[in-house]
Amino acid sequence: MSHSKRMRRWLAAGVAVATAGLLAACSATNTGPPTLTWYINPDDGGQVDIAAKCTQASGGTYRIQTSLLPRDAASQREQLARRLAAGDSSLDIMSLDPPYVPELAEPGFLAPVPQTVIDQRTTDVVDGARKGAQWNGKYVVIPFWANTQLLWYRKSVVEKAGLDMSKPVTWDQIMNVARQTGTHLGVQGIRGESMTVWVNALMESQGQSIVIGNASSADQTQFGLDSPQGVKAAEIIGTIGREGLGGPGLTTQDENQSMSTFQGAKGSFMVNWPFVWPATQSAKPELISDIGWTTYPRVDANTESAPPLGGIMLGVGAKSKHTDLAFEAVTCITSPENQAHYFVTNGNPPASKAAYDDPQVAQKFPMAPVIRTSLDNAKPRPQTPYYNEVSTGLQQRWTPVQTVTDQTPAQTQQFLMQVLRGERLL
Amino acid sequence: MSTAAQPREASGSGSSATTGGAVQKRNQPRPRRTERARAEARLGWLLAGPAFVLMLLVTIYPILQAAFDSLFSYRLTAPQDRAFVGLGNYGVVFTDPVFWADFGVTLLITVITVAVELVLGFALALVMNSAIKGLKGLLRTAILVPYGIITVVSAFAWFYAFDINTGYVNSWIGQPNLDWFGSGPTALVVIMASEIWKTTPFISLLLLSGLAQVPSELTEAAKVDGATWWERMSRVILPNMKAAIMVAVLFRALDAFRIFDNIFIMTNGAYGTETLSLLAYRTSIGRLEVGMGSAVSVVLFLLVILIAVIAIKGFKVDLAGGGKR
Amino acid sequence: MKRKIGWAVITILVLVYALFPVLSILMNSFKSSGDFTEGGQFLPRTWSTENYQMIFFGDAKDLFLPALRNSLGITLIATVIAVVLATLCAYAVARLDFPGKRIVLGAALAISIFPVISIVTPLFNLWRQIGLYDTWLGLIIPYLSLTLPISIYTLSAFFQQIPWELEQAAQVDGATPFQAFRKVIVPLALPGVFTTAIIAFFIAWNDFVYGISLTSTSAARPVPAALAFFTGASQFEEPAGAISAAAIIVTIPVVIIVMLFQRQIVSGLTQGAVKG
Repeated sequence: MSHSKRMRRWLAAGVAVATAGLLAACSATNTGPPTLTWYINPDDGGQVDIAAKCTQASGGTYRIQTSLLPRDAASQREQLARRLAAGDSSLDIMSLDPPYVPELAEPGFLAPVPQTVIDQRTTDVVDGARKGAQWNGKYVVIPFWANTQLLWYRKSVVEKAGLDMSKPVTWDQIMNVARQTGTHLGVQGIRGESMTVWVNALMESQGQSIVIGNASSADQTQFGLDSPQGVKAAEIIGTIGREGLGGPGLTTQDENQSMSTFQGAKGSFMVNWPFVWPATQSAKPELISDIGWTTYPRVDANTESAPPLGGIMLGVGAKSKHTDLAFEAVTCITSPENQAHYFVTNGNPPASKAAYDDPQVAQKFPMAPVIRTSLDNAKPRPQTPYYNEVSTGLQQRWTPVQTVTDQTPAQTQQFLMQVLRGERLL
Repeated sequence: MSTAAQPREASGSGSSATTGGAVQKRNQPRPRRTERARAEARLGWLLAGPAFVLMLLVTIYPILQAAFDSLFSYRLTAPQDRAFVGLGNYGVVFTDPVFWADFGVTLLITVITVAVELVLGFALALVMNSAIKGLKGLLRTAILVPYGIITVVSAFAWFYAFDINTGYVNSWIGQPNLDWFGSGPTALVVIMASEIWKTTPFISLLLLSGLAQVPSELTEAAKVDGATWWERMSRVILPNMKAAIMVAVLFRALDAFRIFDNIFIMTNGAYGTETLSLLAYRTSIGRLEVGMGSAVSVVLFLLVILIAVIAIKGFKVDLAGGGKR
Repeated sequence: MKRKIGWAVITILVLVYALFPVLSILMNSFKSSGDFTEGGQFLPRTWSTENYQMIFFGDAKDLFLPALRNSLGITLIATVIAVVLATLCAYAVARLDFPGKRIVLGAALAISIFPVISIVTPLFNLWRQIGLYDTWLGLIIPYLSLTLPISIYTLSAFFQQIPWELEQAAQVDGATPFQAFRKVIVPLALPGVFTTAIIAFFIAWNDFVYGISLTSTSAARPVPAALAFFTGASQFEEPAGAISAAAIIVTIPVVIIVMLFQRQIVSGLTQGAVKG
């Protein structure tokens, strides 16, 4: 064939291009202090600031470089878990959503926390976050900030309905106000993590848990859903759904959209995280004077509520090449000053009690004392290595909310047990 | 997602092939392969080899690995519990209502989108075929925008338009309280609309080439004989386009059966909008259940093959021959 | 006259069909965040460029700009390699007679219908082991599996239509083999190669599943995957405006290519069948 030579030349060129690509992918040398990579959840830039601050404070011992995780917690976990399982050594510091901690701690993906760090950074921490940072009785992560939900209300609506907000209120009461006044409750009805948050808070407020104990194996996991408390939780959620008390968009309403509902003409009550305060200040400053807050609503009028617990824990990858430096950095990041600053600039409440004494905090967040008490009463979501299954299964059965009946808790429990035994798809 | 592949008349058959050497060679008796034939074979593989090997490596190895993994109960975060379960995962998959529900949704999306696209695509092909010169370029440019646009972008465009909070569609149709993504049927309408919008241009271009294949003498003759537009369409044009239509339908059906991006963005499978691709993704990547997820993946793969085989054998779609009759 | 009006109506209908969703997201990209709450509307209440500022100069800069660079770089490299390899392969298919030719084409066909989801998890594990995870090459290789099949098919069809005997005629007329190839064959083959490149570019540009599964940092994450990382002032806010602005930016290359090369793209997608 007369073309054979030419074709070989083309082929050689093609191979050369491919090889060049390969070579470029490798290489790159390193000088200077070790670089720690901190995988951060999206925020308003606060973690990047703290990383720079701690890099400087270390005096050249380490350099922290941040890397962004996806927006929702489930995708964050998805990415971290896959890479930890693969033994990735670049995961030095990770911002973790508390419910996913057991899944990563159980197989030993997280480096053990040195006692000095535990002593320094857990004694001053609110109760809820302290519980959330442990697995099997040991600290596996360090609380960075702690989140909880408050009951926010529109003063004008409450006044019209004649509800006394100086005392704790119940779900039944706020549902009644919504019925009477034709307003909408800002709750999260979307099929997502926020549904688990809601169900969990309703259960824990009655002293019952979705998952009882903290068994580490799938077939020993005990559930508390199939109980009178579960039925009561289902009654509240189902009623709000069926009566349309959450507004027309309830089935796709997440935290941000329930805030829009609350800010709208038909807003009345809302259960939500403190981010709504700075967000409302910038989006609807005219509303601020009409907004009040109190602790999370009770289920039973005589039992203190157990507000949801969120926030971020910092974990260090077991395969990190610099675990000691990483814990040094974690200690710096979680200092009370940094936590207070993070609260003021990014609206995410501190896990450290001392941070609440910062005068700036009180000035920027008048509800800080309520947040702090709520955090002490807050109960974590189910602590199990199978949290993802539990949460996803729950979300599937409890949405759309108008279909939730008194059968739902028992059915969910049955379904979850089958899923954990590997007998069902999710 | 849409790995828009399309048929080709030329290559497979080899019958219409080429010039000089190749033709002569074929006339020679098989057993005595000449030196030249060997050299040509060598060169052929040298040229085709890199592409061939690369394509196979990236697909065959992973699917074999998935088939192997599917025989285990294996969770990524609990590697010590990994256990051989034989075909147990497949047993779970095939007896689970979730699988069948997702299969149903996938099939529904495939059938409806392809049917609508066929009609819409044919209309667009007719328009492009008979448009006057000046308009042709404009129409083609417009049609190609959805073809080239990123599926995820299309998904966001449709999502934001219909979403109860950000969208304007509700106020246009006077239904401010309609939560499109809050229930399966309405969510599927938007998902399918986005899919149809994005992929109709492809089908319509294939049909356009099919239209051009219809011998103009036939249509002219029918016209002279006094056939109406509809008679010409149903008796002359459509029968002559059958091959092109079948190819277009098959390729789009296989593409639609793998739908992922649109649903992932708009509902993430909530409220009965989950398809098999999403189930596979959620099981193996979301839940990290590599064993079970691989089983779903393998089933999805086999179903795609099955559809292709049924179409090729059952309806005699000549993929390699493309629109050629 | 009636005919003219008819065509005007048809043209407008087609234009609305094809461009309305693009227009819709373009309008979104000029809305300020307040425009998205309390019942949206098609046009921005006030036209604002804050979303574009955010993705180019503001908070989302470190997310979007590397993603744009990755998308462009990875897609272009994958396109070039795919076209080079497909050209070699298609030449062999169109011009040479070798055993296994049908296997090559059959494989290309089979791979073009392969569900990406089915192979992405094993690929993730393999990439982790050999260090291709979260690298450009780690996306370029799977993109080749997306683009090669269609490139091979398109190019084989083009090459089959080239009157190769012209080359021999040129040689008879005294041209050297190289001259004959360069002056006669290359000009004939180039449009096909170019068209193939456009189609391959669109396919690689469109990828989402590989992008979200095989990357983890701004080192290789392409734009479609990065859209899921956009966030507003809080972690709970999905910034519709910024996402729309980023979506418009990645749509611009598509629109430009389509406007410049519509004729070539249409012929690339249809010609094989037309000539049949």
